[in-house]
Amino acid sequence: MKRFVAMLLVVAMVFSMAACGKKQETSAEQGKVFNIYAWNEEFKGFFEKYYTVPEGVTVNWIINPSDNGVYQQKLDEALLKQADAPADEKIDLFLAEADYIGKYVDSEYTMDISSFGFQNADTQYEYTVKAASDANGVCKGVSFQCCPAAVIYRKSIAKEVLGTDVPEEVQAKLDSWEKFDAVAADAKAKGYYMTASFAETFRAFSNNCTKPWVDENNNLQFDDQILAWIDQTDKYIENGYTLTAGVWDKEKTDQMFKDGKTMCFFGPAWYYNFCMTNAQDAENGCVGDWSIVKGPQAYFWGGTWLLAATGSDNTEMLKDIFETFTVNEDVCSKLVENENQYPNNTKVVEKYANDANYGNTSILDGQNDIAIFSELAKDIKWENHTNYDQLLNEGLQNKLQEFYNGSVDKDTAMKNFYNYVKETYANINVPEN
Amino acid sequence: MKETKRKKDGRQSVSYAKWGYIFIAPFFLVYFVFTLIPQFLTIYNSFFETYRDGLKQIGPNFVGLQNYITLFTPDADGIIRILKYASNTMIMWVAGALPQFVIALLLAIFFTSYRLNIKGQGFFKTVIYMPNLIMAAAFSMLFFTLFTRGGPIQMYLAETGAINQTFDFFSNRVTVRGMIALMNFLMWFGNTTIVLMAGIMGIDQSLFESATLDGANAVQVFFKVTMPLLMPIFVYCLITAMIGGIQMFDVPQVLTKGNGAPDELSRTLVMYLNGYLTNKNYGMAGAISVIIFIITGILGGIVYKMLSAQYKDPEQK
Amino acid sequence: MNKHMSQNTKGMIQLFILRFFAYAILIFLCILCLFFFYLMVVNSTRSNAQLARGFSLLPKEHFLENLVNAWNDASINIPRGMLNSLIIALSTAVLTTYFSALTAYGIHVYDFKFKKLAFTFIMAVMMIPAQVSALGFVQMMNKLHLNNSFIPLIIPGIAAPVVFFYMKQYMESVLPLEIIDAARVDGSNEFHTFNTIVLPILKPAIAVQMIFSFVSSWNNYFIPALLLDKAELKTVPIMIAQLRSADYSKFDMGKVYMFILLSILPVMITYIILSKSIIRGVTAGSVKG
Repeated sequence: MKRFVAMLLVVAMVFSMAACGKKQETSAEQGKVFNIYAWNEEFKGFFEKYYTVPEGVTVNWIINPSDNGVYQQKLDEALLKQADAPADEKIDLFLAEADYIGKYVDSEYTMDISSFGFQNADTQYEYTVKAASDANGVCKGVSFQCCPAAVIYRKSIAKEVLGTDVPEEVQAKLDSWEKFDAVAADAKAKGYYMTASFAETFRAFSNNCTKPWVDENNNLQFDDQILAWIDQTDKYIENGYTLTAGVWDKEKTDQMFKDGKTMCFFGPAWYYNFCMTNAQDAENGCVGDWSIVKGPQAYFWGGTWLLAATGSDNTEMLKDIFETFTVNEDVCSKLVENENQYPNNTKVVEKYANDANYGNTSILDGQNDIAIFSELAKDIKWENHTNYDQLLNEGLQNKLQEFYNGSVDKDTAMKNFYNYVKETYANINVPEN
Repeated sequence: MKETKRKKDGRQSVSYAKWGYIFIAPFFLVYFVFTLIPQFLTIYNSFFETYRDGLKQIGPNFVGLQNYITLFTPDADGIIRILKYASNTMIMWVAGALPQFVIALLLAIFFTSYRLNIKGQGFFKTVIYMPNLIMAAAFSMLFFTLFTRGGPIQMYLAETGAINQTFDFFSNRVTVRGMIALMNFLMWFGNTTIVLMAGIMGIDQSLFESATLDGANAVQVFFKVTMPLLMPIFVYCLITAMIGGIQMFDVPQVLTKGNGAPDELSRTLVMYLNGYLTNKNYGMAGAISVIIFIITGILGGIVYKMLSAQYKDPEQK
Repeated sequence: MNKHMSQNTKGMIQLFILRFFAYAILIFLCILCLFFFYLMVVNSTRSNAQLARGFSLLPKEHFLENLVNAWNDASINIPRGMLNSLIIALSTAVLTTYFSALTAYGIHVYDFKFKKLAFTFIMAVMMIPAQVSALGFVQMMNKLHLNNSFIPLIIPGIAAPVVFFYMKQYMESVLPLEIIDAARVDGSNEFHTFNTIVLPILKPAIAVQMIFSFVSSWNNYFIPALLLDKAELKTVPIMIAQLRSADYSKFDMGKVYMFILLSILPVMITYIILSKSIIRGVTAGSVKG
C-alpha cells in the first residue's frame, strides 16, 4: 500500500513537473507564436484549409467548450492578465458569438483593426461590421460568415392553407405580421399550427429592436418589438396557433417529421443541419417539402466573429487572416462550395445567387436559397444591442414560458423575470413590483 | 530513527502528543495553501459590492452588511427569496433522502445478514452503484428524454388516461420536485448502502453471535447491537448527505435548464448562488455562501449532538 | 444452509418470506438502475438523426460507427483523455484516503492540546459550500502558474474534510485502542503501527472512500475545465463537453453517448476491483479478534 502511494506520488510529480517544464520552453522570440481562443473547431477547420501560416510561426489553438460558460470564463481571465503576459502567451485572436460580442468589442481588450492597416471592404455586410464596432464606431474585428434568417415553410401545408406553395406567392401572403397572423388563423381552422414554439418568432422581433434593453440610466426597458412579440405570443397561445414548447424542445422538433402539423419555422442556413435533422430523417422525414421566404421581417441569427486582441504582436498575420476570410473571393467561394457557409462577401454571394445551376436539394426542393438569403441580408440591422442581451432574452423567454404553459399567471412570470434580471445584473434597475 | 519503548510510566498518552501533530500536519498544510485563502476571501467579499459589468470590474466598495440586508429584504409580495429557495432545497432533499436512508439501511442489512445469505451480492452491489458512476449531466439528459412532453413516459401516461394529454412534467411543482428527488435518490442510495455496509462489516461479528445466543431476535439485534455500533457511520452518512442536500445543484440545474421552474419552486440555494457567480457578483455570492454555511453548521451540529448523545456507546473508551 | 435446516419450520417459512422480499426489492431496484444504463447503451448504438427522432428501447446498428467516429474525432484524443483522467483520479483517490486516515488517526488516537480545536475546525470547513471558493481557487492557481498542471487537481485531495470525517467515524466504531497499545509494547514505531496494523483494519473504509473519490474526481468537469486548456492535458469530462459544443457540421449525439459510455467503463472496473476489498476487509478484520 505504502509503496503504491509513493509510486503514485512520484508519477504525479514527474508529470506535473513535465507540464511546468514545457511551459518555460515556449518563451521564444517575439511574434513567432499566434494564439487563438475558440470554443469549437469550426473555424480551425477553415483556417487550416484556406490560410497559409507564415514560415516560422506556430499557431496555438486554445479550445475550451462553452458548457457552463467555461469558454468566456477562461477567455476573460486570459484577457484580464493579457497586459502582464509574456509576448508569446498573449492572445492574438479570439472568437465571439453575436450574443455576447458586445462585451468584448466595448472593452479595451480588443484593438482597432485599422491600427494594423485592415480596411473593411464594402463587400462585407454592414451589420457584421457594426456588430464588431464599439460605441464610437471603432471596428475591432470581422466575421467570416453572415447569418440572414428566413421563414422555412412546409410546402404541402402551405398549399393547403394558402392554396399555393410558390415562394413568391407565399411571401406575398406573409410579408407583414398582420398578414402572418391572419394566415395563422386560417392554418388553425384547417388543423395546422403556424409555428411550433412560442419563442419561434422571438429572434425576428428581438433582432429588429430600436431601443436597447437598458436606457442611459440603466433602467430596464421593453422595446416595442419585444412587446409586439409578447402580444403576438399571448394571442397565438390563446388561440392555439402555436405550441408551448421552447425553441430547442423535442415537442417542437417532432413537428418537422413528415406527419408534423406545423407550417412555419424561423432560421438561418445553419438551422437546416443543426435543428432540422428530423426533417432529414430517412424514414419519417420530408426532404424536398421545404422552401424559404423572407417572411414579415428580415433578421439574423447567430454568427461567429474574429476579434483582434489588444497586445497582439502578430498584427501582420491578423491582417492577413481578416483579408483571407472576408476579401479573398477564392476562399469565400470555397466556403460556399465546400463548407456550406454563407460568406461575408456580397460579391461571392451574388455569384451564387445568380447561378441558375445552384440549388439546395439537401433539404429544400432545389430552390436557390442563397438568392433569398442574399436579399434578406441587405435588410439586416444591428442596432441597440447591449452586453446583457443574451441573458435577458433567454430569461424573458424562460419566465414567460411558465406563463404560456399555464404554471403561473402573467404577473408572476414578469415578477420572476424582474427578479432574474436583478440577480443576474446588479447594475440594472428593474420596475418596482 | 527508532522510537521504541517510550512507555516507561503512566503518562504514555501525553508523551505521544507530538505524533498527533505530525499526523495532522499534512492535512492542515495543504488546506491552508490550497483552500483556506479562497474560502476566507468568500467571507471577506460578502461585505463588499463587487461584480463585473461585462469585462469592467465594479468595486470592491465596502458596504458593511448591505448584501445580507438585501438578501433578507422581502419583495413586493412579502417573499424573502432566499428563504423560499432554502425551503425548496429542504423539501427536495428530504423527499429524496428519506427513501435513500430507509432503502440503504435495508439493503445494507440484507447484504450483511448471514441468515439471509443473499446470492449474487457482487452483481447487486455493482448495479445499485451504477447511477452514481454516470455524470450528473448525462444522467439528467437521459431523465429529460424520458419525461419530456412527447417523451415515452408522458405519452404512455397520456394514452392510458392517467394524465392530461398536454400534461407537462416540467411545469408542475410536484412532478418537478419529485423527479429531482427521484434522481437524487437513484444516484445516492447505492453510495449510502455501501458506506453503511462497510460500517456493519467493521463491527465485530462475535457481538452479533453472543447477542443471538442470548436469545435476541433479529429486530432486537438490530436496535440493540447493530444500530448503536453503526451510529458513528450513520451520523457520517446523515451529515454528509445533508451537506450534499443543502448544496444540491447539478440535478435541478440540468433538469430545469437552470430555471428552477415552475415559479422558482425547484430553485435551490446553490442555484441562487450560481446566478450571482455567472456575473462574478462575489459580494452577493459571498453573502449567500455565508448563509448556507450557517444553515449547514446549525443543522449539522444538531444532528451530530443529538444522534451521538442518544447512542452513547458504553463499550467505547 | 445446513444450519437452518435444523431449525423449526416456522423459522424456515419466515426466512423464505424474508428472502423473497429481499430479492424482490433488490431486483426491482436493479431494474431501475440498469434501465438508465441500458438507455445509455441503446443511445450509443443510434445515429444522430435517430437520437433526434426521440426515445427508443431498441438498439440500432450504429454502434461501431459511433465508436469509430468518437475514436477518430480529430479534436479529442480519447486514450490520452482516459490516461489523464486516470492519473488524476487514481492519485487523488490514493492521497485522499491515505492522508484522511492519517489525519483521523492523529486526532482519534493521540491526546494533544489543540485536538478539539483541530477537529472542530475540520468539521466547520466541511460545511462551507464548495461552489464559491472554486472560482477563487482557480484564480489563485492561475496566479501561481499552476494552470495546465495536474497539481491543483491532485494535491488538494490531501485535505478532504468529508473523507476525514468518515475515517474518524469509522475508527470510532471499529478501531480498538488496545491494539495500538499492544503494538507499542511490541516496540512498533508510530508510523509503522499506522501503516502495518491500522491501515489493514481500515481496509473496507479505505476501499469505500477510494471508490468515491475516484468517481468524483473522474467525473469532475468544472475545475479541470477552468484550469486545463492544453489539448494533451484535457480530461474525459472536458472532452465530452467539447463534443457537445461542437459546431453543427460535426455535432453528433451518437458520438457523445458513445464517449459517455466509454468513460463509465474505467470507473466501473475500478469499482468492481475495490468493492472486493470491502468484503475481504472483513475477513482481515475478524482475524484480529
